[in-house]
Amino acid sequence: MLGRGLKRKLSDYEENMAGLSSAFDSSRSLPYPLKRQLMLNMCLTKLQTYKMLVEPNLHRSVLIANTVRQIQEEMRQESNQQPVNICPGIAPSSHSYTGMDSSGISLQLPSGISPQESNCCDLRSVEDPIENSLLIVSDDDMSSAISSILKDLDFVEDISPPTCLVPTGDDQPKFPENTSLKLEDDRQDLKGAECVFGSFEISNSTSYLKDLAIDDIFEDIDTSMYDSDFCCPPLMLPRSPSLATEEPLKTFPSCNSSSANNIQLCRTDLSELDHIMEILVGS
Amino acid sequence: GAGGGNDIQWCFSQVKGAVDDDVAEADIISTVEFNHSGELLATGDKGGRVVIFQQEQENKTQSHSRGEYNVYSTFQSHEPEFDYLKSLEIEEKINKIRWLPQKNAAQFLLSTNDKTIKLWKISERDKRPEGYNLKEEDGRYRDPTTVTTLRVPVFRPMDLMVEASPRRIFANAHTYHINSISINSDYETYLSADDLRINLWHLEITDRSFNIVDIKPANMEELTEVITAAEFHPNSCSTFVYSSSKGTIRLCDMRAAALCDRHSKLFEEPEDPSNRSFFSEIISSISDVKFSHSGRYMMTRDYLSVKIWDLNMENRPVETYQVHEYLRSKLCSLYENDCIFDKFECCWNGLDSIVMTGSYNNFFRMFDRNTKRDVTLEASRENNKPRTVLKPRKVCASGKRKKDEISVDSLDFNKKILHTAWHPKENIIAVATTNNLYIFQDKMN
Repeated sequence: MLGRGLKRKLSDYEENMAGLSSAFDSSRSLPYPLKRQLMLNMCLTKLQTYKMLVEPNLHRSVLIANTVRQIQEEMRQESNQQPVNICPGIAPSSHSYTGMDSSGISLQLPSGISPQESNCCDLRSVEDPIENSLLIVSDDDMSSAISSILKDLDFVEDISPPTCLVPTGDDQPKFPENTSLKLEDDRQDLKGAECVFGSFEISNSTSYLKDLAIDDIFEDIDTSMYDSDFCCPPLMLPRSPSLATEEPLKTFPSCNSSSANNIQLCRTDLSELDHIMEILVGS
Repeated sequence: GAGGGNDIQWCFSQVKGAVDDDVAEADIISTVEFNHSGELLATGDKGGRVVIFQQEQENKTQSHSRGEYNVYSTFQSHEPEFDYLKSLEIEEKINKIRWLPQKNAAQFLLSTNDKTIKLWKISERDKRPEGYNLKEEDGRYRDPTTVTTLRVPVFRPMDLMVEASPRRIFANAHTYHINSISINSDYETYLSADDLRINLWHLEITDRSFNIVDIKPANMEELTEVITAAEFHPNSCSTFVYSSSKGTIRLCDMRAAALCDRHSKLFEEPEDPSNRSFFSEIISSISDVKFSHSGRYMMTRDYLSVKIWDLNMENRPVETYQVHEYLRSKLCSLYENDCIFDKFECCWNGLDSIVMTGSYNNFFRMFDRNTKRDVTLEASRENNKPRTVLKPRKVCASGKRKKDEISVDSLDFNKKILHTAWHPKENIIAVATTNNLYIFQDKMN
């Protein structure tokens, strides 16, 4: 779900980030939660950028994922220990989402607002430019960012296929597609394929494909040709090449017979054949 | 800083490579390695080429300098490939070169890109047979009826020709990117390491390799650590080490089990809590590991320091040298521009008394383990005159900058020295900037 963020040019974004990281390095007065949030955003941005690469760098991805995990763990501990927490992010408003649409990044924002937001009003006044460029990121978002980049790096292998995948505890992402992939049967050739396709999970990309019904996609294809009365055997998966060649012959069994009735039927068949030819040739 | 009677005074000797600032991507040097005698110096580049330099024979009358290195052989080791199954291009960049010890007249080296290792034979031809009976000198067959006498062909000298030919190709054993190769002290086997696995090969056998380390988890989402470098022990043919992205080094003994997933020793320094930051893990990632020549110590390079470990002590290094501590307060910026992921290498001198590593702004650093003195030098064409002693450099971390010092903010982070090599016997070093190779020697008498 995209917020009504300000669309910012990529170069502005880069300049902003460079400025932010200098601020991070030099400023001692930057409050820790803000620093952490900044760090988290940088990590997630990098992970998203790597995801767009044809071949993400495994070493870097793991290091960044670990940093995100570390921040995630810290934030979890804080929310477990203290009922009144330091806000994990800045209160969202209309500009809670950065204008990163141009680079095709889409982290799913939680539709709800963090309940701890009321505690961060004072933070809002600290540094507006920083605030405007930070995301609200939920625990789920972090987990999904980590797992999606790491799953991308799992190549289909012939050498040593992994043993069965076991669904683990709460730091696994909550997406139903993920769980169903994990609980699939252990046939290893399929598993390899699923790992590859796992990286193309719909849940991690823009959601328009999810919203459309399958029929809608094919709406504009003209299927009238297939609606005719012409006797067509139901489509079967080809069992063998030899059978495939026999099938066209089966379609016209009556043509082989020499009886009068059959000749009659044959003519009908032939005219229908002409009809089909006309369609195919496009006359 | 440098100084004192016993300290080496380094002089510029040679520089190889293009002069202009516009760097062609293919010319970026990606590895530098002396052979076992130091007579040959090999470089690999991003374009998949290997260039070997040979030291010219020392002129006994010229006692003030050692022989110069001149081009001996150039060949295309690896070509770009396309993996159709995964729709990925495989880079031809040479990641590592390792020389085999010389057994006969020819030289052998292993070179590797991300996926394939090749054994190259470099041989000289300086004679050719002349005086065949049935063939002319140009190869055409003579009319047999014109042959009236027989003669024995003789070898006659010809201009030296150096030929490189691929003798073995070790392919299809690595799913992830190869970061290290290391030849065993038995000179029959070698290991190759990628992000998650280490394989053992026999130099004669290309269709099969043994997997000796596998840290890939069943579920990739559980992956938290990758292999960053690996090396065989110089003397013990069943011992090797591998370093990780979490700053640990594992020593393994191949006699213990076929799959060396359980280490014999784990080297790890506990973290200094006062230095903890979001970047702690990233900067602890080890980019290079090298055994000393003696085999008693090993050296690791992480982002800010070089550590020397005694193989008998696992819980902390025996020596730690800060390479560029002034960068600690700039980590966020270095993370943002990805410099924090730069993989610096390190090397020992022949006597294991000095270690060297690179830094930014074309600086490189040397640490004398005995005197505890260190020096920062610069690889730059400005110090171009042979036998000019290099002037030590100093970086001003903060506060008032003294004359001749360089402030941290004016360092050029695009000029990084990742690859350095030290001659196994002499005080000759090879330092690679982005696309140039510098050779420095110590000032003799």
